Amino acid sequence: MVVRQYNQELEYLEKTSPYCWRIKKGFQPNMNVEGVFYVNQTLEKLMLEELRNACRPGMAGGFLPGVKQIANVAALPGIVGKSVGLPDVHSGYGFAIGNMAAFDVDNPESIVSPGGVGFDINCGVRLLRTNLFEKDVLPVKEQLAQSLFDHIPVGVGSKGIIPMNAKDLEEALEMGMDWSLREGYIWAEDKEHCEEYGRMLNADPSKVSMRAKKRGLPQLGTLGAGNHYAEIQVVDEIYDKWAACKMGIEEKGQVCVMIHSGSRGFGHQVATDALVQMEKAMKRDKIETNDRQLACARISSQEGQDYLKSMAAAANFAWVNRSSMTFLSRQAFAKQFNMAPDDLDMHVIYDVSHNIAKIEEHIVDGKQKTLLVHRKGSTRAFPPHHPLIPVDYQLTGQPVLIGGTMGTCSYVLTGTQQGMLETFGSTCHGAGRALSRAKSRRNLDYTDVLNKLEEMGISIRVASPKLVMEEAPESYKNVTDVVNTCHAAGISKKCIKLRPIAVIKG
Amino acid sequence: METFTKEELTLPPCKYEYLDHTADVQLHAWGDSLKEAYEQCGLAMFGYMTEINTVEIKQCSEIEATGDDLDGLLFHFLDELLFLFSCEPFLICSKLVITEFRTEGDELKIKCKCYGEEFTLGKHPQGTEVKAITYSAMQIINDPENKKFEVFVIIDI
Repeated sequence: MVVRQYNQELEYLEKTSPYCWRIKKGFQPNMNVEGVFYVNQTLEKLMLEELRNACRPGMAGGFLPGVKQIANVAALPGIVGKSVGLPDVHSGYGFAIGNMAAFDVDNPESIVSPGGVGFDINCGVRLLRTNLFEKDVLPVKEQLAQSLFDHIPVGVGSKGIIPMNAKDLEEALEMGMDWSLREGYIWAEDKEHCEEYGRMLNADPSKVSMRAKKRGLPQLGTLGAGNHYAEIQVVDEIYDKWAACKMGIEEKGQVCVMIHSGSRGFGHQVATDALVQMEKAMKRDKIETNDRQLACARISSQEGQDYLKSMAAAANFAWVNRSSMTFLSRQAFAKQFNMAPDDLDMHVIYDVSHNIAKIEEHIVDGKQKTLLVHRKGSTRAFPPHHPLIPVDYQLTGQPVLIGGTMGTCSYVLTGTQQGMLETFGSTCHGAGRALSRAKSRRNLDYTDVLNKLEEMGISIRVASPKLVMEEAPESYKNVTDVVNTCHAAGISKKCIKLRPIAVIKG
Repeated sequence: METFTKEELTLPPCKYEYLDHTADVQLHAWGDSLKEAYEQCGLAMFGYMTEINTVEIKQCSEIEATGDDLDGLLFHFLDELLFLFSCEPFLICSKLVITEFRTEGDELKIKCKCYGEEFTLGKHPQGTEVKAITYSAMQIINDPENKKFEVFVIIDI
């Protein structure tokens, strides 16, 4: 790694607009393209602070700051356009979290990297609407929170309650939400409002290790821990009435349910297995990267293809997982209000993936190209009229769901043409951590955090008390800053703001 | 139920801590030998998942891990432990005893006896879930001359 003083490092960074910075070639060795990141004034400070800390003497061997990681990704073979950092970017494993990069599939040198997807493959957010309003829910809020908590298995060591055997798992991996539909857990319309219609067709369960399947089986239909959650939210603000209307959101106060979860141990193991395989492939094919953690393989190689097929299976796992929890949430609401989920109008507004790699068509330098787009902590945000978004959203652009953190707001954005051009149709995914977990545990008090949530009128059910500190809003970047930056930079457009009234967490 | 000797039921002292890291957590473990540092590192991981003092020794599973170098060996050792917890037998451990520790030659190898019990909701408080082991900033200090044996691992959570 190049060792430079902080002010020398800054010479490679240029602010090109109030919301956008350019990372020039040379910031890290062998950069094939430039880097770019989107931040506003507040986020800019956090970003540069991270870089300054890394420049302090004695920090060798520590963790690379996000901006360095964006530049290292720009040095990967076959990358086109720019390596993009979204406003919630922070240091991650190999790729930064909040980093997207596209690789030309027709270039034989191009690579696929599990680090560009993350361990939690197809971690994502799903939003359900209801026809209830805050006043309907407030009197029974505690019971409803408890009921959701009782229905959805959460936290370390919890097991799924949807009956599954090994054969069911194989089918689910191959079929994604088509499996959930066949087994009667979801509605046919749910698929329509999901990226890829809830099924990646190139999934091949035979490419997945037994180990991953064994880890996955007991965990299907569980929420997990960490930053995952299920929340009851109310519409707090509508910025784009017309687009909101298309999503079935009529007025402030309307109640929604947000589910944030991924592919659980299954995806984690698929990623771990692939990293081990790719280390070998890198040696064989002599692929040089700036960072050992950027393990990758050529897209066309056996390892690359196997990863894409097993990643697709993990993506399907995640959709089935979120679908199972959709089923459980609908049950919890139905029991509480003594009405069918249908009569409560509990439709899926949309379901986004924020840890995934996909083959997409994009225009690069005026030419249409087939690209492998890695989005890690980044959400697809396709503009109006894009062929891959459902009929209902053809005129509004794809809904983009941005989950907040425990106690903070969440947002629904829509994709824009500008985003399509600048960031390959990608935007932020959430708040992004600002404090380390250990620091949160030290600095924050469990009861303080809970009292604060109570003051804000938020009911909480959490499996692990430690997590309350780690996941406190103070530990994260302000999601409003992140979303406003995306809006101001034009890479996506604000539509709805949601405020939590009950949180279920691991 | 298996029966255990008194020695087997004696718990090791705690020689690990959790260090700062933005999104994840770094395990730092040490010992009087590299073997002990590895054992302690495994316990550190279990300690993040639950309160280890609630874990009784009721059963024992044996695992094996191999690697090309010390880093790889530690990685696969922890990955095996995580696997032991994630599916049958859903074992959460309060004691690890490495019975074979081959750190030289082409293929390095660990055999380890893992003492603990099945993770049970209600009995064991839920800590944080470990998604994966990483090579990120992994450091192994193996310095017999100065009797310094330490390992640093970042786990993804």
